Amino acid sequence: MTSNGQYQGSLQYAVDIVMCIDVTGSMHPVLGNVKKSALLFRDRLESVMHEKGKEISRLRLKVIAFRDFADYADDAIEQTDFLVFPEQAAVFDDFVGRLEADGGGDAPESGLEALALAINADWERGLDRRRHVIVMFTDAPAHPLGSPASTAAHTYPPNIPRSMDELSAQWGYGRSQTAVMDNAAKRLVLFAPDISPWTEISEEWSLAMHFPSKAGHGLEEFEMDEIINTIAYSL
Amino acid sequence: MKRRGDEVGGYRLLTDPTNEGGANCMWAFAEKDGRQYFIKRFLEPKRPKDGSPANATARKLMLEECEEFEERHRSIMERLSHDMSGGGNLVLAVDLFHEGCTYYKVTERIETSSLEHPERLGSREKAILLRTLALSVQLLHGIDVVHGDLKPDNVLVQKKPGSPFHVAKLIDFDDSFISGRPPAREVIGGDQFFGAPEWRRYVQGDESVQPEHLTTATDVFALGLMIHYYLTGALPGHDDRFQFPADAVTAGEALRIDPRIGPVMTDMVRAMTARAPGARPDVAALLAALKDTDVCDLRSPAPTAEAPAARPSAGSARPAGSRVKKNLFGRIRGTPGGPGGTDGPDSPEGTEGTDSAETTGRTEPADPDRPTVSRVRINLPPPVDPGGRSPRTRGERR
Repeated sequence: MTSNGQYQGSLQYAVDIVMCIDVTGSMHPVLGNVKKSALLFRDRLESVMHEKGKEISRLRLKVIAFRDFADYADDAIEQTDFLVFPEQAAVFDDFVGRLEADGGGDAPESGLEALALAINADWERGLDRRRHVIVMFTDAPAHPLGSPASTAAHTYPPNIPRSMDELSAQWGYGRSQTAVMDNAAKRLVLFAPDISPWTEISEEWSLAMHFPSKAGHGLEEFEMDEIINTIAYSL
Repeated sequence: MKRRGDEVGGYRLLTDPTNEGGANCMWAFAEKDGRQYFIKRFLEPKRPKDGSPANATARKLMLEECEEFEERHRSIMERLSHDMSGGGNLVLAVDLFHEGCTYYKVTERIETSSLEHPERLGSREKAILLRTLALSVQLLHGIDVVHGDLKPDNVLVQKKPGSPFHVAKLIDFDDSFISGRPPAREVIGGDQFFGAPEWRRYVQGDESVQPEHLTTATDVFALGLMIHYYLTGALPGHDDRFQFPADAVTAGEALRIDPRIGPVMTDMVRAMTARAPGARPDVAALLAALKDTDVCDLRSPAPTAEAPAARPSAGSARPAGSRVKKNLFGRIRGTPGGPGGTDGPDSPEGTEGTDSAETTGRTEPADPDRPTVSRVRINLPPPVDPGGRSPRTRGERR
């Protein structure tokens, strides 16, 4: 209702989600589970929101699949744009369906590069309230940002922070002058082993939740509920 | 990341932290010196790490955030002292601390009853439950504190051994504020289903609503809706053009009070959900009304020539061939089966197995004010899992 008595309608909610998915070989045992959950995610979210009598006005999903720039540059990052649901659901389903666990070489992967790309994604700025969620699925530690073996790759994206401190500054905090994302909207959900850098991120970054998996043992304990909770209980 | 078995601030975690039921924190049950607690891990603010390379400006700004966070919480905690007379049903924080970069808040762990259908209680039991709730809210308002997020999810229902009555324990003061001094529009807490019209307009950026307009009367609006919920198991109805009660009220539409509710409580709920905050009674008026436990009686629905619509069974999200909407609330914390230390089935005497719309298919009461059944909003408790499992409770993981 505006001050002149016009009904404005319900609050308009925009939900953007970026799924960063490790698709290296070690993810083979669990990638099927992650893919299945990703494909079912929209229906699950819609169902929960419906049960709560709430509606998302605009839902967009983006996928960043990552491997290892230091191992093989050509397929180190594959990503979609933000896909609007339900209109572009088929594009999402097709992309996720084609993901295969392969490569990666040594244990550290390019998870921080994927996270940096997610932070700098083209997040929705309109509507009344927004929820911007980055979800990281990995079973491995990450190469340090700025690692020469990674940055030398011919496919290495421009504008990736060259240190963890730079990336932390991009994530920011409430009054941060350097934060890229809307602080009131953002959340980071980590399904990752309790090892560096994920442990430090969950401890030091605001609005980050970490659901640890065992390193090298995939994401057997992965549950979509944790992601749904970050959305359904905050709108 | 702390996990079950780890210690934080001297509290040993009894469960893995979860974010179930909330988006701004993680929580777990914990133990210290033989007593059990509920421990909440805040997602923000974060303290700068000792020795971190954050520049001086960033460090200063982060510490300012932390100081304001601590000041807000401590000011509420100081007002809500544990020895406050009548404060026994406020579940207050016993500890607020930081470990490393992260803040934690600790409250007593409340053993809750498995009362999933308070509307099935007898009139006297309902009146006592509502009085304990109203007394807690009155206590807050007496010290000028607005709870800020009153809803059934933030009420734990407790029944002590040997007592025939349930009492309401009010929890979660994280969104509380001093009357007239709410948090900024972008960050204020609250729930759309129970939010008052002025709260909705504040959140929507309506400049005609200023911080001073958000007072204890916003709680009264929510409490009015909760009374209807506890008496009948549903929120008042409203035209389906509006998603939430506050929107209907703001538009000048009357909420549809369940006609089974007697005149005293009908008038009370209507007054408490008035559009103008100043028109709402204070909690003392509610307490006075509840002295007569008969006011919580539900009357039999009047017969009607028109066949009333059958109430859809719980669990069916949208009945086929019907445009009737349901709002299925989130669970009230402490339902059976979870780590909440519930007492198991514990219905009050004389109410176990009583007739209910959910189990018997009883029809909706006739309401001459209702235009058509297809525009009636029905609120039901959460569905039972078709697999027969109990709904998950806070902290329970499958």
